[in-house]
Amino acid sequence: MIGASVYIIVCSARNRIRVRLRRLKEPRYFIGGAAAIVYFYFTVFARMWGRSRASRGRPRSIPIPADMLALLQTAGPTLVGIALLVIMALAWLFPGDSGLLAFTPSETDFLFPAPVSRRALLVHRLLRSQLGLLFAAIVPAFLFPSGSAASRVKFAVSMWLIFLTMRVHFTGITLARASLALGQGKRRQWGALAVMLAAVAVVGGAVIRACAGLRSAADIPDAVERLGAIGVSGIASWILWPFTALARPLFAESAGAYGVAITGALVVFAVNLVWVLRSDEAFQDAVSDAEARRAEKKLRDRPVVRARSVGWQLALSGRPESMFAWKNAMQMLRGTTSAAALRYIAPAVGVGVGASSAVMAATRASGAAAAIGSMALAAAAFAIVLGPQVARSDLREDLLHLELLKTWPVPPAAVVRGEMLAPAMALTLVAWSAIACALVLSAAAFSAASLASRASIGATIAIVAPALISAQLTVHNAAAILFPAWVPLGTARPRGLDAMGQRLILFFGVVLAMVLMLLPGAIPAALVWLALHGLLGTAAFVPAATVLAAIVLVEVFVATEALGPLYERLDLTAIEKSE
Amino acid sequence: MPIAVQELKRVYGDFTAVDGLAFDVAPGEIVGLIGPNGAGKTTTLRSLAGILRPTSGRILIDGHDIVSDPIEAKRRLAFMPDEPHLFEYLTVEEHLRLVARLYGVEDFDRRCAALLQELELVGKERSLPGELSRGMRQKVVIACGLIRRPSVLLFDEPLTGLDPIGIRRMRETIVARGRDGASVLVSSHLLHLVEEICTRVIIMDRGRKIADGTVAELASRADLASAGSSLEQIFLRVTGHDRDAASQP
Repeated sequence: MIGASVYIIVCSARNRIRVRLRRLKEPRYFIGGAAAIVYFYFTVFARMWGRSRASRGRPRSIPIPADMLALLQTAGPTLVGIALLVIMALAWLFPGDSGLLAFTPSETDFLFPAPVSRRALLVHRLLRSQLGLLFAAIVPAFLFPSGSAASRVKFAVSMWLIFLTMRVHFTGITLARASLALGQGKRRQWGALAVMLAAVAVVGGAVIRACAGLRSAADIPDAVERLGAIGVSGIASWILWPFTALARPLFAESAGAYGVAITGALVVFAVNLVWVLRSDEAFQDAVSDAEARRAEKKLRDRPVVRARSVGWQLALSGRPESMFAWKNAMQMLRGTTSAAALRYIAPAVGVGVGASSAVMAATRASGAAAAIGSMALAAAAFAIVLGPQVARSDLREDLLHLELLKTWPVPPAAVVRGEMLAPAMALTLVAWSAIACALVLSAAAFSAASLASRASIGATIAIVAPALISAQLTVHNAAAILFPAWVPLGTARPRGLDAMGQRLILFFGVVLAMVLMLLPGAIPAALVWLALHGLLGTAAFVPAATVLAAIVLVEVFVATEALGPLYERLDLTAIEKSE
Repeated sequence: MPIAVQELKRVYGDFTAVDGLAFDVAPGEIVGLIGPNGAGKTTTLRSLAGILRPTSGRILIDGHDIVSDPIEAKRRLAFMPDEPHLFEYLTVEEHLRLVARLYGVEDFDRRCAALLQELELVGKERSLPGELSRGMRQKVVIACGLIRRPSVLLFDEPLTGLDPIGIRRMRETIVARGRDGASVLVSSHLLHLVEEICTRVIIMDRGRKIADGTVAELASRADLASAGSSLEQIFLRVTGHDRDAASQP
């Protein structure tokens, strides 16, 4: 079976690499890959090599005091060991999904009916998980602030062994829980659970005693020293031994010490592996449970669409744009569940709280009215600046229906405009409501500014909002038409180095396009403001904003007309190609 | 001719899916498009529907070029794909209303009620696609295609997912549209269906047309005379698979 496992893993990896390399033949993927390599070079390697060159020939500068570093090195294994103990205890108490029991549908169909033992299936899954674990161990080793290549390798191997042992242990926990449910080996499994709880109690008591004298920051070194001592002597040190043994290679200085430490860690891994392979009676039930949990999660994550009436029936005649607006509005209204809304509201609230705190601190305002007013202003800013990125009920989502849209007798420019209409209207409505709220409460938050000034600024933002939102939506939809394979559709996300580079290019491209779209309007708007500022004061912002908004909206119209033929030429295969 | 395909060619990278295909479909004709997997049937239908751009060649729908005059061409055709693509947040009735708006259908309420009755969708008007079986979703797609009166109908595997009653209804529906004067092109692997309802058959293989005519005409062709009189026998002979079939134990 190991031969078959290795065959599946090697062939799958080889073919995946082949597909990615073949994809690089296309210029857009090649450019994406090149961009990602350049990004990696400048963010990781260049910095790393630069640091290594800079430190050559002069004493290594250590930002942490030497005594603190020495303390961390002696106490480190115990501290990491305690953390591992807590993680594993939590895994015993709260049922989770062990990665090793997650079989793909093809594995289930091919391997489960095959004459293969349950242990062999576990070993297969363990082998298959190695690539991911190695990647997870190597990435921090690159970022690890150390000069020598040998120390990076040591760090990567140590991390890999920790991840591997934890994964095997989690599988053991899942299997133990399943056999408890089945009533098999009850005594043994309950015993393991009892031992784990007793271990947590003993180590917890020692930790509480070690931290008892902690009163201020000055006491931290003493507390760390006492925590480190827990792993050296006493009953707690025996309990913590498997965990500190796993952590010890991370802190070993010399090659000899590393050899001894890694041997201890390997022993811990081997014991866990034997335990898991010997408790495979409940394997099939544990796999079914894991599958059921995953299916349940998938169902939970899927938006529950209900045909609730929204009192807006599509008229049987009218401009095609309004038909798209209705269609996408239905999607937004019916497809947005409270869970999905929370995903958008949570960052908005975060930005709102941060921004309102900043505004209130700057204006020295206080009170509920000031807080709500500032938050409303932040919400308006969120809707205008980040909203078009979040509200994707336009071509970015409808590319999934391109096969259907392409058969409709609608002018292509109208399709592009119509698709953008619903998110543009929704975001403008949110922004206007928030601006109105902020304006009503502005006296509390901006007491220094006159009513006329506050009203002028409010009107300015309200005038500019639809133009800015529409311009951003135009850029995002243009990107979807020009680079459909780069735009994530639905829940699918293209993977690979080239896909990462594409996302980087897309981000900078969107920023650049926005600047280019705003510039033709910003210059005459600035001239209008300069001309009228002396006469109208703050109110001069309003005509300037009107000029800016008018020019940007004209640009949006022209851009959608130009995008029409490109949409017409958009090939279905360009979308189907994305992985 | 409602459907005129002239030297159609479609290439995907290095692979030529359709190569120099040419045929016409007259009003009232029901033409079956058959061929082994990968023959280029779906690519042909998708090109006819305006979903895929031909690499070269021309497609005329009622005289309108699908590339240079797409709106007028699309106004006249209805494409029913093998996989029902519906908007998951619109109800059955809203899908029909949307199509009615798109194509400017008059007398929507009467036509909608008649179609729901014909396709046994009564009671499902307010259902979302997620609440329907695959066969039901397929019927909704077909209802969307039939709510207007297109002069060209393109069916890609129209019977997939339908129950026996649905299959019978669908056969009757296709034949009725042909009788009403529409030009119908049906792609299917179900040779008995094609033989039963189609007035003419086009056989494709490796992107090329290798036979075109009525079943009787094909059976009387000199090189196919010994194949047999059924479409299945003709198909196996013309695609070169009759020896494989004969050698099977």
